[in-house]
Amino acid sequence: MSDTIGSRGGMGAGIGTALARARVSSFISRGMNGQLVALAIVLAICAIGTGGMSLSPKNLQTILSLAGIPLVICLGIHQVVLVGAMDLSTEGVISLCAVVAGFLIKNPLTKYDLGFWAVPLAAAIGGLAGLVNGLVNTKIRMPSFIATLGLGWVAQGLAVVASRGNSIKMLDPSFQLFTNGNLLEVPNTIIVALVLGAILFAIQRRTRLGTYMYAIGGDEALARQAGIKVDRVKIAVFAITGCVYALAAILLISRLASSNPRAGKDLMFPAMTAVAVGGVSLSGGIGGALNAVFGTLIVTVLNNGMVLMKISPYVQNAVNGIVLIVAVALTIDRKKIGIIK
Amino acid sequence: MRKSFALMTLLIAVSLSAVFAQNASGVFMGTAIRSLENPYHAVWARGAQAYADSVGGFTVIQTCEGSSEKQLNDIKALIAKAGKNAVFNIDPNESPNVIPIAKACEAAGVYFVTWWNKPDNIKVTDYPHWVAHISFSGIDAGEFMANTLFKKMGGSGKIVALQGMLANSVAVDRFQGLQNAIAKNPGIKLVAYDAADWERTKAFEKMKSFLVANPDVGGVWAANDDMALGALEAIRAAGLAKKVLVVGCDGVGEMLDAVKAGEAAGTVINPAFWQGGIGLALGLAAKDGKINVKTTPPEKRAFYAKAVEVTQDNIDKIIAEFVKGTPKYDWSDLYSNYVGPIK
Repeated sequence: MSDTIGSRGGMGAGIGTALARARVSSFISRGMNGQLVALAIVLAICAIGTGGMSLSPKNLQTILSLAGIPLVICLGIHQVVLVGAMDLSTEGVISLCAVVAGFLIKNPLTKYDLGFWAVPLAAAIGGLAGLVNGLVNTKIRMPSFIATLGLGWVAQGLAVVASRGNSIKMLDPSFQLFTNGNLLEVPNTIIVALVLGAILFAIQRRTRLGTYMYAIGGDEALARQAGIKVDRVKIAVFAITGCVYALAAILLISRLASSNPRAGKDLMFPAMTAVAVGGVSLSGGIGGALNAVFGTLIVTVLNNGMVLMKISPYVQNAVNGIVLIVAVALTIDRKKIGIIK
Repeated sequence: MRKSFALMTLLIAVSLSAVFAQNASGVFMGTAIRSLENPYHAVWARGAQAYADSVGGFTVIQTCEGSSEKQLNDIKALIAKAGKNAVFNIDPNESPNVIPIAKACEAAGVYFVTWWNKPDNIKVTDYPHWVAHISFSGIDAGEFMANTLFKKMGGSGKIVALQGMLANSVAVDRFQGLQNAIAKNPGIKLVAYDAADWERTKAFEKMKSFLVANPDVGGVWAANDDMALGALEAIRAAGLAKKVLVVGCDGVGEMLDAVKAGEAAGTVINPAFWQGGIGLALGLAAKDGKINVKTTPPEKRAFYAKAVEVTQDNIDKIIAEFVKGTPKYDWSDLYSNYVGPIK
């Protein structure tokens, strides 16, 4: 049965429904009006609060350069959220990839000097971590938030052990020059992030994997009944996300030309906020790469604006928390949740 | 689980007794610290060993690896073995852990010294065997950093500040020090401050935004070196290195390099090597009757010690002494770094 399911001609009633549902979901996500309005409001508030300074070309460039790395992370997490799962291993996996990459790029502690080749190797580590996340989630049938939380701590621990808690200085200047550089006044980090976003967008819209992702996120039981190999899709999604984390780790350590086992710390909350603010439903099946882009921009503009407006740091965290709760309240699909835990 | 726990206890007991055996004749000098993996405590342990060597003894290094429970148990184990023939130099894992440690040492009649934080309601003077509780003033450090920066700026200009984690006592103290210095320097204006949670990445991001709002900023005060280094990267990216100086605290290696390169104005080092040695020296002096704890004035029982202040003027000496070499201390001068009482 499953052999014919993949082909368009052999669709059963089940997969038809699942795909119809997926189509509806992607139709919803195509409407970016809400996100555009939210971005406009945030930009306007910041512009008023700073007397227009926040819209200066210099600050817009700063916002774009600040948004690059959070966007990469957000693009990673949103895929997992899209299939209705959760990934809390972000910080640990990024820290581990950062330390591994730190040791592979020219540094004072090891003799390695792999240059660019450190990128695919770090991606392999990240992908492996994602693969384990997916396997534990689907094969051992453990809720994804617990499986990934556990693996995140394992990865964080490995990062600390491997580095013995030390910072690793990066002696290859080309990485830092690239990450802090601009192409025609557009920061390179945001270009990298947007290229990644375009690739993921294409996967979501143009490939069978993407269609299955929406089907699983929309209704996993239905997707399974329809013969979609749910486990395989989820494992693939987790693995891709792991690779994306590795990319974020490389950008992070090259920006400061220094790597340490705390590199991933505190990166998940802003990324998760961006996922929710962008309109990716935490219950799965709704949203896409474009939502991640808008979500990250909104969060970055807001945080940059709060610094420019000299809002007390005591208040800033609270504002972010409120934004997260409001965003989730607006995007969550309550029909799917029987009991609130 | 229980089996593996028992096995671990046995292993620890065996390894501890092996350590004890080497020192059976003299006084057991216990050094209780967090772990040897962080550079600060690794240097601490070297200082303890250097002191032990200077008196022909041996120090028992106990690392608690972040567990208050283990720290207390290790200390009790050594006391059980040595009886009154022990002294302790302890960096308490958490400040509440000071209470059971003090009670255990007091009950056994063992002299001990503690560092950094203790609960405010616990008085050293209530414990006749508690030789001293020593800390470093965050306010002084913050003020020194600020003054070093202001001096380099010629006493006037705009600065921005990066705070540590909010509601953290060290962060609050250091920031208070900055504010004290600003109050005394009317030419300096604090145009923006924000929290970067001790982290390099966050400091980098906040600094990027600061530079947009304040392109004419003259200096950056950061509550620790990691944040100072993050801010420095943003300054370098903006092409302002050496024009906009940073100051930090802790004395991490990269920061010392930045001071040497003229990109940072200064930092403050907590002298771990001295801490490791002098704590044991105080304990042993009390045990041998060289100092009488009961008659020692209260201000010398709980006091602030002097940290090592690093500026561009003394950086070569600092690197020679603390990075390339080993600092030399006169261990018999027990209160040489005394600054003032902890209020």
